[in-house]
Amino acid sequence: MDNVSLLSLSYQLAARRSMDVIANNVANMNTPGYKRESVQFEQILQQLKPADGQSGSQSLSFVKDAGVFRDISAGHVEQTGAPFDLAINGSGYFAVQTAQGERYTRNGHFTLNADGTIVTEGGDQLMGDGGAITIAPDDGEISFGADGTISGKQGQLGKLRLVSFADERALTKEGESLYSTTQTANAATSVTVSQGMLESSNVSPVLEISRMIEVMRSYEATTSLDKAHADMARQADQKLATYQ
Amino acid sequence: MRALSIASTGMLAQQTNVEVIANNLANMNTTGYKAQRAAFQDLLYQTIQAPGAQSSDTGTLLASGIQLGAGVKTAAIYRMTKNGDLKNTSSPYDMAVNGAGYFRIQMPDGTDSYTRDGNFQLSSSGQLVTQDGYTVQPGITIPQTATAVTVSTTGLVQVTLPSQTALQTVGQIELTRFPNDAGLKALGENLYAETSSSGSPQAGTPGSTGYGTIQQYYLETSNVDSVSEITSLISAQRAYEMNSKVISAVDTMMQETAKLGG
Repeated sequence: MDNVSLLSLSYQLAARRSMDVIANNVANMNTPGYKRESVQFEQILQQLKPADGQSGSQSLSFVKDAGVFRDISAGHVEQTGAPFDLAINGSGYFAVQTAQGERYTRNGHFTLNADGTIVTEGGDQLMGDGGAITIAPDDGEISFGADGTISGKQGQLGKLRLVSFADERALTKEGESLYSTTQTANAATSVTVSQGMLESSNVSPVLEISRMIEVMRSYEATTSLDKAHADMARQADQKLATYQ
Repeated sequence: MRALSIASTGMLAQQTNVEVIANNLANMNTTGYKAQRAAFQDLLYQTIQAPGAQSSDTGTLLASGIQLGAGVKTAAIYRMTKNGDLKNTSSPYDMAVNGAGYFRIQMPDGTDSYTRDGNFQLSSSGQLVTQDGYTVQPGITIPQTATAVTVSTTGLVQVTLPSQTALQTVGQIELTRFPNDAGLKALGENLYAETSSSGSPQAGTPGSTGYGTIQQYYLETSNVDSVSEITSLISAQRAYEMNSKVISAVDTMMQETAKLGG
């Protein structure tokens, strides 16, 4: 293959990956606590020997996806009215105990299990300062204070463990709205919790659709460039053949 | 292309969302109905470059890495256990639970089921039954000669009999509660069954700690909020459209690719 095809191939691969990321953003438009992502590209330069009759250095610039960048801005808060739907205002995460160790989430939809312990839909326990939080039926209506204090009719039941990280973008996504990390989890400061609310995703439909059109059009342009180049090569071959 | 299957998970999720909303709207006037909500989570991620991996020998780290998602899934459809409003009726056998607790109903196969729908009637033998004829537990029989029936807030059922001044007690209504209401399984006909997620039933007297009181001549309306259902419906419909746009964009890209070399 010649350089034109290789260059357009490098872009096409990158465009496909961008499309995958956009599709994932759109699919998770209504996933609470989901943070939108975008692909960042970088160029890879290849130095070429100058062709005959040309001077100066010549280079090819290939494109490659360098990373998927997570937009950690807050999504808007939506009211649901469910007692165990919690939204965090500010940069903090809920801590959840899973079989694989502690995980973190912004998806504040929780429920109770048969023992009355607060869990995620996956059955993993939500962590308070002193471990899992269990609610007895006699506690009646449960209320969550802005600082994460949990109280029922029989008094205070515990306090949510809200954590923050030095580098939020470096958290690894685990699926099921959970993140894992090797960073130390610090107690989050200046965050508040609202009960009966969920933080919706921060995906903006307009942005995603316009990005999608952009990727689609540039993909088309690259393909037609490739085609034009192939036509040119074919014509050159035909021309040369007539001089024989 | 992966984007095709990702967008299809998005469409499926929104379809479920619309179905849940449709069911809520259909049951807007169903006694004791509890609104449901679909809860979504993102699917697994494929890690191509781990965030925080070393990018050189001098110890520089990748700031964000590359993790590709696989779409969205419906994690659960959960019930809002919030009480509905109480509506006044004219039947003495209409009862609403004001607070926590369910009426216990015996199914024809002998098992127990639970309901918030206190729209009861009398059977031919004078027993207190649901609209489907299932007996309310513990069984209460109202004598045929009774001229008036009174149910106290604590669930005591008393009747007035002709030529008697004192009220006669014929039964006591019991309430059942669960550690986790949201874990009950809906059986239809406004009935719920115990599951391993709801925890075991705990029976108690209405009005005692942790149990609601009984309101005779009232029914609990559904807790569906039509305004919030309609706004969710609009957002679900738009999200469905967006996902289908992604599919058609991917389709265009694939067509372009197919034309290559042709």
